Amino acid sequence: MSAEPTTKPSGQRSRKDLACTAAASAYQKQFGADLRRRVVDEGEPFAIVQADTPHEIFHVMGIPIITNQWWSAYISAKQLSNHYFEVMAQAGYPKNSCKYCSLGLACTLANDPKTAPWGGLPKPTVLVARMTCDCIQHVFGQWADALDSEFFPMEAPAWEHKDPRWFAHSKDQWEQVYDADRIALAVSEMRDLIALLENRTGRKFDEAKLHYLMERINEQEGYIWEAAQAIGKARPCPVSIAEQMPNTMIPQWHRGSDWAVGHAKRFRDEVIERIVAGEGTAANEKIRLMWIGAGVWHDPGFYQALEERMGAVFVWSMYMPFAGPQYIREVQGRPMEALASRICSMNEVLHLPPWMNGWMTSEAERCGIDACVVLLPPENRLSQSGTKITAEALEKAGVPVLMIDADMVDAGNWDHDRMVGMVAEFLQKRGLA
Amino acid sequence: MLAYAGPNLPHALLEASGRNAGPLTWNVDRAMPAAERWLESKFAPWTRSVLQDWADGALDHLEAVLFSRADDSAQRLYYYLCELQRSGAIKGPEPLILDIAKGPRESSIARDEAALRKLAARLGVDEAALSAAIAAGNCAQQIASPSPAGPNVCLIAGSPLPDDRMHRMIEGEGWAAVGRTLAEVWQDVGPPVDEGGDAFVALARQLHARRVDTRGFFDRSGTLAERALAVGVGAAILWLIEEDDTTVWHLPAMRAALEAQGLPVLVATRRDWSCRDGIDAEISAFLAGVCA
Repeated sequence: MSAEPTTKPSGQRSRKDLACTAAASAYQKQFGADLRRRVVDEGEPFAIVQADTPHEIFHVMGIPIITNQWWSAYISAKQLSNHYFEVMAQAGYPKNSCKYCSLGLACTLANDPKTAPWGGLPKPTVLVARMTCDCIQHVFGQWADALDSEFFPMEAPAWEHKDPRWFAHSKDQWEQVYDADRIALAVSEMRDLIALLENRTGRKFDEAKLHYLMERINEQEGYIWEAAQAIGKARPCPVSIAEQMPNTMIPQWHRGSDWAVGHAKRFRDEVIERIVAGEGTAANEKIRLMWIGAGVWHDPGFYQALEERMGAVFVWSMYMPFAGPQYIREVQGRPMEALASRICSMNEVLHLPPWMNGWMTSEAERCGIDACVVLLPPENRLSQSGTKITAEALEKAGVPVLMIDADMVDAGNWDHDRMVGMVAEFLQKRGLA
Repeated sequence: MLAYAGPNLPHALLEASGRNAGPLTWNVDRAMPAAERWLESKFAPWTRSVLQDWADGALDHLEAVLFSRADDSAQRLYYYLCELQRSGAIKGPEPLILDIAKGPRESSIARDEAALRKLAARLGVDEAALSAAIAAGNCAQQIASPSPAGPNVCLIAGSPLPDDRMHRMIEGEGWAAVGRTLAEVWQDVGPPVDEGGDAFVALARQLHARRVDTRGFFDRSGTLAERALAVGVGAAILWLIEEDDTTVWHLPAMRAALEAQGLPVLVATRRDWSCRDGIDAEISAFLAGVCA
């Protein structure tokens, strides 16, 4: 049993300038309802997976997935994160254990259907995670035990081919960029996963379907990448990252589907329309900001808080431009290998040097960034990783950097006004405002 | 000479190279400006000392340092050092990484074997030399030093210790102490390696099955309970440092397993690796209470 949730959220909603943003949110809401019906009410087989796992396999097999990060954000958006952190503390876990990946576990351990979203998750067919840090296998292992299911870990092998300009070659030279042997290992693991899913669900995997899906994903991510390119060049910035994120991420949860491809195209078109019309997210853009880190899901309004007051616009976050170098793949007649190259380093390029600093300094230049704000979650080594080296590289490139100690799902140490004030003070101190 | 950093490494292979300089050492009781500059807060404390030494040129006498993929801080430090060398910020020995895969399937064991062959080629070690080193290592393991046992022993578990400073605190209270230091974890060669077959395959299987690292798949609370029972300890301390992100997930089960044996347990979490946070007084009070 657990105490009733008590939270004092300081987060604020974000303003929506695009019609497609509401459409994406509505689709995801309906998808959530359908997913709940399928897996909770109808008992359809499903999987719990990390964001950096091969979702495409599940899509091809028609197996619903619940992405841990999406589920965490969902719990966080319901203002339940503090409640579940307390549940974990009461169960004897130290309060500094990594929060981003463990909210779902906490929700399951709380075993309180009255409080839990959807009344809590039922037993999945499998839980899948890449072992990108030291804690994820323990979180997923315990979560699998608590749900009486099975954990399927995937390796995150060492990467000795270190190309700081990986993003320039990853679409077509993926075998060189990501190492052929790392790709082969991921393919082997994916084949084991497919065998497990076929055995457990009776559903079949079809490689031709995967090939088609990969091409559709290329089309989808191509639209997103095209919009990202346009945003980088446009003055003023037509769309804040508060809207870039949902219009990239929601279709990415459904990547390759007709809706996802169609939505990405619609988003691109609306972005271009705003650029042509000269419409900016701020009335008087003066400062172009970069955001490094996961989204602050409990306070999306943070990203737009200084637009009118200082003309400071968050132009860049990783989600949208990542669509180009890390999602688009020339299939080259080898869809499994192309898919493996997409997932076998998805986390590494965002959190380890030289990939992280190499890409982000290049992106700062491409987008005309004036200053950068970096999220430094105090209790998450993976999310912290590479930030200081990247900050130093950005400063060297003439981009002032502010690092803020906060967590993407833990609203406990976050105060909207204090954080906005911190950014404003930083911009003034560095002579940008 | 070649030093190493991290657990779950192939000691026989390092010995076979004839260039094994042993584990890197650390001193966290000092200012470490280079570590502050480049390392984030959640990195294991030993990485700060190693990075500082690297930046200071204190490791320049080494040819290379081998990092273990079986420890997250070690593998991340490897990438940092490579990048800092590439940018010219530091010099020093060549960082190497051994890609130890721990997933519970054959492809991970094959990955380990490939990694061992690659390292052997880099160090100029052939299979005959490796086989000989494995045989010598197996022989040496038969001479094991006794460790304290009995009800006057306090077991320290959780995060690996920086050195024997906590042992001395416990001994100061009239108890004996058992608990592994980080250096002992890194130097642990593991159970004997199978002899007779392909030496690389045998070593890969041994490394894959090892239970010393943060990424191994095994029942940590059960293993701890077995150890407590085998030693017959009279008390236990579950000590976790602030940077620990592995054992924290097993703390409730570990505590329950020890308490199920009727053992008094001191749980100390989010602690300072240097033990300068008052843990000595807490241990003193805890053991006094056990005696009473």
